[in-house]
Amino acid sequence: MRFIRSIADVFGYSPFKAIHQHSEYIVVAADLLVDQYEAFITGDVEKIASLEKEIDTLEHEADKIKAEIRTHVTKSLRLPVDRHDLLSFLTFQDEIINYIEHICHMFTYRETKEIEKNIEKKFRQLLYMINDIICKYEELIDHVNSLIATSFSKKEITDILLHVNSIEHVEHECDKVQIELHKLLLNSKMDVLDIMLLRNILIHLGEIANSTARAADSFRTMVVGR
Amino acid sequence: MIEIIFIFTLIVSIYMAWNIGANDAANSMATSYGSGALTLKQIIIIAGVLEFLGAFLFGSRVTKTVGKGIVPIELLDQHIIAIGALAAIFSAGLWITIATYFHLPVSTSHSIVGAMLGFGLAAVSENLIPLESIKWDVLNNIVLSWLLSPITGAILAFLIFSLIKFLILSNMDVERVEHIFKYLQVLTACYVAFAHGSNDVANAVGPVSATFGFSEAPSWVLALGGLGIAIGIATWGYRVIETVGKRITELTPTRGFSAEFATATTVLSASYLGMPISTTHTLVGSVLGVGFAGGLASVDLSVVKRIIYSWVLTIPVAAGLTISIYTVLVVFL
Repeated sequence: MRFIRSIADVFGYSPFKAIHQHSEYIVVAADLLVDQYEAFITGDVEKIASLEKEIDTLEHEADKIKAEIRTHVTKSLRLPVDRHDLLSFLTFQDEIINYIEHICHMFTYRETKEIEKNIEKKFRQLLYMINDIICKYEELIDHVNSLIATSFSKKEITDILLHVNSIEHVEHECDKVQIELHKLLLNSKMDVLDIMLLRNILIHLGEIANSTARAADSFRTMVVGR
Repeated sequence: MIEIIFIFTLIVSIYMAWNIGANDAANSMATSYGSGALTLKQIIIIAGVLEFLGAFLFGSRVTKTVGKGIVPIELLDQHIIAIGALAAIFSAGLWITIATYFHLPVSTSHSIVGAMLGFGLAAVSENLIPLESIKWDVLNNIVLSWLLSPITGAILAFLIFSLIKFLILSNMDVERVEHIFKYLQVLTACYVAFAHGSNDVANAVGPVSATFGFSEAPSWVLALGGLGIAIGIATWGYRVIETVGKRITELTPTRGFSAEFATATTVLSASYLGMPISTTHTLVGSVLGVGFAGGLASVDLSVVKRIIYSWVLTIPVAAGLTISIYTVLVVFL
């Protein structure tokens, strides 16, 4: 619109909505990973491939959001949190979906023979726990809106600290399951190559939980350390 | 002849008032639209009435500064004053129109002060008055007020929002607080409109008042300016309110209240002191103040740089244009 003088330029780019959207992609990708695991168990190659594609696309979209935030959060912006804290937090959050993407490719590496029932169950359990930790993480990020609305009230910050604690708790539980699974895997009678593949997947699943906890931790640093 | 010049001056003044209403008044009111405190119709009515009242009841001091505080009109004859006033208001109006077209954050106050300075310098170059007779001390104070007003707005807004934050937002439900502040924001919207009218009417009618040579600006001149502003809001400003309002929805009622209260208080104080300041720049300062208090998701400080460039550009351009137009008019009239 021509012939207009506007004060609107004083309002800068806000990265918080985009960050939340990025975290929602992680939730969807983690959910699809469970489906892909079930397809992997039943040996449904086509489904594995189509889910691989979907997760890959999600990771790509998340990357675009990350790039958008990085381009727009310039020095001239004054945000309610430290700019460097925000950008390093974003890097941690982006790692979560990167690990999910790594795993979605691994399911396509090889058609496994027989997977022992107890191992299959434990893997499923771990995947559900990872879904749980990621949902909790997304809820944590959702706090940003009320955080800004209340202008970082003490109550909101306390809620966030409790939330991060619960994420760290689930991460610890994931670690335990991961250790159990390692023992089961390395002592199983399955095909050696299958064991290798599953172990690789297992390590990366552990990394999803770890990186989620790291991102939650740096979110806490960003919120508290302003 | 002098009557024709006078009528022209009056017409351009009304255009200037219209432009002020259409853009500056509209921007000040957009903060109440963005937060949803008022509907567009309510805003136009409130702004129209209170801008008029502010101009009519409280606009004389700044008008006097612009009309007689810069150029020593008591040393000039009627004819020269009439030409100078026309040249000044015409240049300021022209520059504002050009700058608005290019979305530059210029101020009508800066333009008119630059233009009046141009008139003074033109008179000096004709050897009608000595250079020292231009009221440099007043100009000094005006420039100082331009620097201080956005800073004052920022500090006030920072304090007001911080108080709201620590006393209210941290103890009560946010949604309820915002709801209550919607009503308070109706009051600050009125306050802003009144303050804006009282300060900015001078940018339109200051030169005309000089033509009269009255010791005080006649009230019908102020009324005309106020009316021009009100018409500007109703005929074009509503579009600006909509466009700007939609982009600043982040300014919730508590934030809007803080920014508006700070802006109106600063601007009204300036009106009391007779200083022609920029309401828009004060508002930008106030919004930044809320941002610094942690009230906004993001504010962009690069706007400050653009505002400073516009200042630096506006004064010489408005003065230069006035000198040129004055020189031409003197030959023909």
